[in-house]
Amino acid sequence: MEKKILFKYIDDPLQVNIDTYMSHGGYKAWEKVLKSMKPAEVIDEMKKSGLRGRGGAGFPAGMKWSFIPKDSPKPRYLVCNADESEPGTCKDRVLMEHDPHAVVEGMAIAAYAIGSHQAFCYVRGEFAYPAAMMEKAIDEAYSKGILGKNIFKSGYDLEMVVHTGGGAYICGEETALLNSLEGERGMSRIRPPFPAIEGLYGCPTVVNNVETLAVVPQVINMGAEWYAAIGTEKSKGTKIFSLSGHIKRPGNYELELGTKLSYLMNDLGGGMLDGHKLKAIIPGGSSTPFLLPNQIDTPLDYESLAAAGSMLGSGAVIVIDERTCMVWVIERLIHFYKHESCGKCTPCREGTGWLEQLIGRIEAGEGQQGDLEKIDSICDNILGRTICPLGDAAVMPIQSALKLFRDEFQYHIDNKKCLVKTEFEFK
Amino acid sequence: MTIPRKMIDLNMDNQPLRAEADATILKVAEANGIYIPTLCAHKDLTPFGGCRLCIVEVEGMRGFPTACTTPVTDGMTIRTNTSQLQAIRTEILQLILSEHPCSCLICDEQDECKEFNATIRKAAVTTGCRYCSNDGQCELADVVKWLGIKEINYPISYRYLPVEKDDPFYDRDYNLCILCGRCVRMCQEIRMADTLAFKQRGQRTIIGPAYSRTHLEAGCEFCGACVSVCPTGALSEKTSKWQGKAESEAVTTCALCGVGCQLNLQIRDNKVINVLPAEDHLINNGQLCVKGRFCIPELVNNHKRLRRPRYFHGGIEEQLSLEKAIEIAAGKLSHCPPEQFGMIISSNCTNEDLYVAQKFVRTVMDSNNIDTMSRVSYGSAFGAYLNLMNKCTTMEDLRKASAIICIGLDTRFGQSVVGVELRKAGKRGAKIITINPRPHNLTVVADKWLQPETGQEAGLIDKLAKLMEIGANKSKGVKRPAASKGIRAELAEAIGILCEAESVVILVGSDVIQYRGSSDIFESIDKLAQTLQAGVMLLPAQNNLYGSLMMGTYPEILPGGYSSTDKARLNHFAKLWGSELSDSNLSWNAESVARGREIKVLYLLGEIPLKSRPAADFVIFQNIYAPDFFNPEELVIPSAAFTEVDGTFINGEGRLQKVRKAVDPPANVFPDWKILSLIAQKMEKKGFEYLSSEDIRIEISRVIMGFHNSDESLRPILPFKSEFHLSAVSEGEMVNFKSKGQKPFLLQTRVAEHTYRGFTLSAFVDGMKAISDENVLEINPDDAKELGLSCDDEAIVKSEEFEKIWPVKITPQQPARMLRVTLSPGDFSGHNPYPVKIRKNNV
Repeated sequence: MEKKILFKYIDDPLQVNIDTYMSHGGYKAWEKVLKSMKPAEVIDEMKKSGLRGRGGAGFPAGMKWSFIPKDSPKPRYLVCNADESEPGTCKDRVLMEHDPHAVVEGMAIAAYAIGSHQAFCYVRGEFAYPAAMMEKAIDEAYSKGILGKNIFKSGYDLEMVVHTGGGAYICGEETALLNSLEGERGMSRIRPPFPAIEGLYGCPTVVNNVETLAVVPQVINMGAEWYAAIGTEKSKGTKIFSLSGHIKRPGNYELELGTKLSYLMNDLGGGMLDGHKLKAIIPGGSSTPFLLPNQIDTPLDYESLAAAGSMLGSGAVIVIDERTCMVWVIERLIHFYKHESCGKCTPCREGTGWLEQLIGRIEAGEGQQGDLEKIDSICDNILGRTICPLGDAAVMPIQSALKLFRDEFQYHIDNKKCLVKTEFEFK
Repeated sequence: MTIPRKMIDLNMDNQPLRAEADATILKVAEANGIYIPTLCAHKDLTPFGGCRLCIVEVEGMRGFPTACTTPVTDGMTIRTNTSQLQAIRTEILQLILSEHPCSCLICDEQDECKEFNATIRKAAVTTGCRYCSNDGQCELADVVKWLGIKEINYPISYRYLPVEKDDPFYDRDYNLCILCGRCVRMCQEIRMADTLAFKQRGQRTIIGPAYSRTHLEAGCEFCGACVSVCPTGALSEKTSKWQGKAESEAVTTCALCGVGCQLNLQIRDNKVINVLPAEDHLINNGQLCVKGRFCIPELVNNHKRLRRPRYFHGGIEEQLSLEKAIEIAAGKLSHCPPEQFGMIISSNCTNEDLYVAQKFVRTVMDSNNIDTMSRVSYGSAFGAYLNLMNKCTTMEDLRKASAIICIGLDTRFGQSVVGVELRKAGKRGAKIITINPRPHNLTVVADKWLQPETGQEAGLIDKLAKLMEIGANKSKGVKRPAASKGIRAELAEAIGILCEAESVVILVGSDVIQYRGSSDIFESIDKLAQTLQAGVMLLPAQNNLYGSLMMGTYPEILPGGYSSTDKARLNHFAKLWGSELSDSNLSWNAESVARGREIKVLYLLGEIPLKSRPAADFVIFQNIYAPDFFNPEELVIPSAAFTEVDGTFINGEGRLQKVRKAVDPPANVFPDWKILSLIAQKMEKKGFEYLSSEDIRIEISRVIMGFHNSDESLRPILPFKSEFHLSAVSEGEMVNFKSKGQKPFLLQTRVAEHTYRGFTLSAFVDGMKAISDENVLEINPDDAKELGLSCDDEAIVKSEEFEKIWPVKITPQQPARMLRVTLSPGDFSGHNPYPVKIRKNNV
């Protein structure tokens, strides 16, 4: 079912102003936390709510916060990961543009929970407008004494800044993000140590996605039980799905987790574009494996999608109709991942390059027999063998496509043309 | 003392092992002789985990963790060599090889090729084959061999990157680069120079200075540390890249400055082909500067090396045998009265050479006329400098200091090993203050940069000392003088830093030497050191300056640092040497040569005091190269370089260090002490029957306490007695340049510091020409614009005494209205800086 928690006031153009936000109950949770809750209580509340990270991996947020060592003498940092760059995903951007104070409040509560006095919002370089909105929101919060020194006379200090990246997909990976935030080249770090132990400037750090943080004030306001009652047994709450592709009404929809994919596509999305036939669905951003039309009733939650052979990921549902050549889709995707590979570890750096060359030549009608086997072997070589998940992200849709649509690839190699009759001009 | 780490038990390849708790799997494997292939890991660098070859299987761990990044835990069961691992490694290495020209690694005819060189030209140059300079030393090849890769599944993709040869000293062929990141980490973590970085991303990732700068522009120190760690042939030394693999190594002490780094000379066919830093050494700790790393092979293997004695007389040049040359020298010297003889010896010579030389002068020639060129290059500061030298602190103190003051120091090319220590100190929290009129490489490292006007350093240091004294008297410790009391705020900040520091070390570079009034600077430094109770570390350009003091190669100084007018000491030495010693005749010194005092025989041992031939009836010139002035009456004797002799040096800290013979000198070329001994024997003097430098060392140890022979190169510091009084170079009158109107131009002359035995390195080492600014006039861009000078112009510089023409080099670092020129030793001296007039030379 569509359920608006994050999107409750998203259509109110004045929601970006702090007064409107506060008139809608904004910063109540922050005040409540500061005045009446201990950090450990906040973490407990989050654990109870069952809120999971919305960036893609789905790691329980409360658990992540509790990993911060209690006795570390070092300062702690909270980082909001607003480097939203997974193809198909456009949810964080909307939150930052239309409800930036929710993000600021969520960041503040998270920072308090982990004992941090400095929070960073790392916004993707291309997001000039969302970054400006976040900056405006932070400025407003400072002017109202909601951020800064001695907030609400509680004695608690919190500084918050927006930092814009240079525009690299890899910087959405938390360790590369931390490198970038430190002014280094965006390259992922070796784990362990995990950021909770040694993160930004070697200090304990929590990195959370925008959507995760934006819902935190609601969880505090309404209580963990209320939130935990929404969704399925293991996937609690709501999630924003960015619906795109060959669909009548693409856009961001907030759904209770466990809602069927068909509800999103047909009831909210209005069905396939121009009455075309559904061919495949990418359910969680470009790095997740494909679903087939017969899986359209899969509930949208972490477990069901995993059982269906895919992932909830960032919640970017990309709908593909029957006119689309899957070789072309994969070629577009691998071009992206090859371009975004940071170049640190061999399998990803060399592997994505070779995959692009092989898939590119199949798409161009120059494929050779044996290319598919080679692609298989390169994919095996990358999957699980890289430092960060970028390698896996690049490989998973390819492996899925080769499994589900291998005939199309073979047809490309054999006949030097597409199996599907395509109306699109690609070249 | 290190606290013993917790030991744990683990199992690796069915072998029970004990290991330290924090060690990585790779380190434990290496310590126990288990080979895990890796290309990006290096023992000095932080784990990178990039190449993915060192993957292992660990029971209970998901996937394949990399051995270089995974720490061992108690009870861990590790397998390093299963068939699955080997298959994955083979695949990963193939991916690396697909981008690396690799016909040298997987050629079908490799075995035959090794034996018969059969296919040397079969593969194209671009794909490698034998055309890689790293042939036989390639770590990639080792891993390929270990994994037994015979073919690769990918077509070879050549990157078509041009080989970068524009920068001096080392070439870069990034087609061979496997992006292991060792060079980048070396540059960033160990050297902390941040010249190299990763650029681009994905498959197009490449190494180099950011923003398309050249290495020279990016502030590269050319320390060569990146070249040393490169596992492939991507980075290679220009001079030694085609020399192949070294057959043997020899550890010796560098003779190119007073830091005293330990070198690991790479030897092949009785030739020093390359120089690497000696590892884990107390002084340089596996690091070198550009001079030690790159210049030595070119310096000692140069085709311009002297190989046969030459005799010039009556306009004829004659090549002779060494015996004949000795005969001529002995003949000339035996007819030379003591006061008409003079010897200038290089402070680059070993202690043994220096000792024999002064003994030769004192006993054979019955004279005291022996000196080094340091007296001239240090100008009026010489006495004060040597005085400070006696209080010299050590590298260990520098590593412990909580505040460091650098005066006139630039560690980009010279003493860059000290620069590394400074950056390390900065990282561990020590405060660094640098005093220099010019922007230099330490400005970015320093917490405080005090920028006095050129020539006004003494005043600034004085002020600092005075204010510190006041601060210390007023209240014990922390009391910052207020900035409002007319003290410059910067100075106050510096004093704040110094007040809080527990231990201070003062480093003195060569930029403050040879000023007019530089003796004031050293006296101020002395004062400051006393106030702060700080150690002073002088970084002399001459590697064995301390040795020359200890050996007594000055008219005023006897071995051990005793005054040569001390009758008792003279008698002591006379008894020891079995010869009468004179206590008079102290009027001649190196400055006399510079001033053109005529004598009968001038013996130049490893020195060139002037650009032109010095005034003397006859000159004996003993060096590794020939002088470039024409000489009507001269004997030229070739001598051995420091890589070809045994002996000792004493570095700027006063540490006695071993010089080990790495290669034989050219045929019929001998060490300096040997030549002198032969001449003395020819003149039928006793006391020169040395068979080896060891004999001399034994004799020296009888004269100087603490100077005994041992194999350990790290020895306690030698104290010397400063009982002597040195006559310093007289200064000219300072012209009052505080005239009305616009400030006149001031010319600062400095002595080239990158020299060996009187020759500037840039004359014999190609790369040094690119990095040293010798004999060019450095000028600020604004001044150049005002004068209409552009970078390929020449300028006429005129003062009341001289008129010179120099090519112009426009440098933004040069302060306004200040000119600077770096000259060979002995080119100029006295009243520096000079007020000058300058105009463009219109050809």
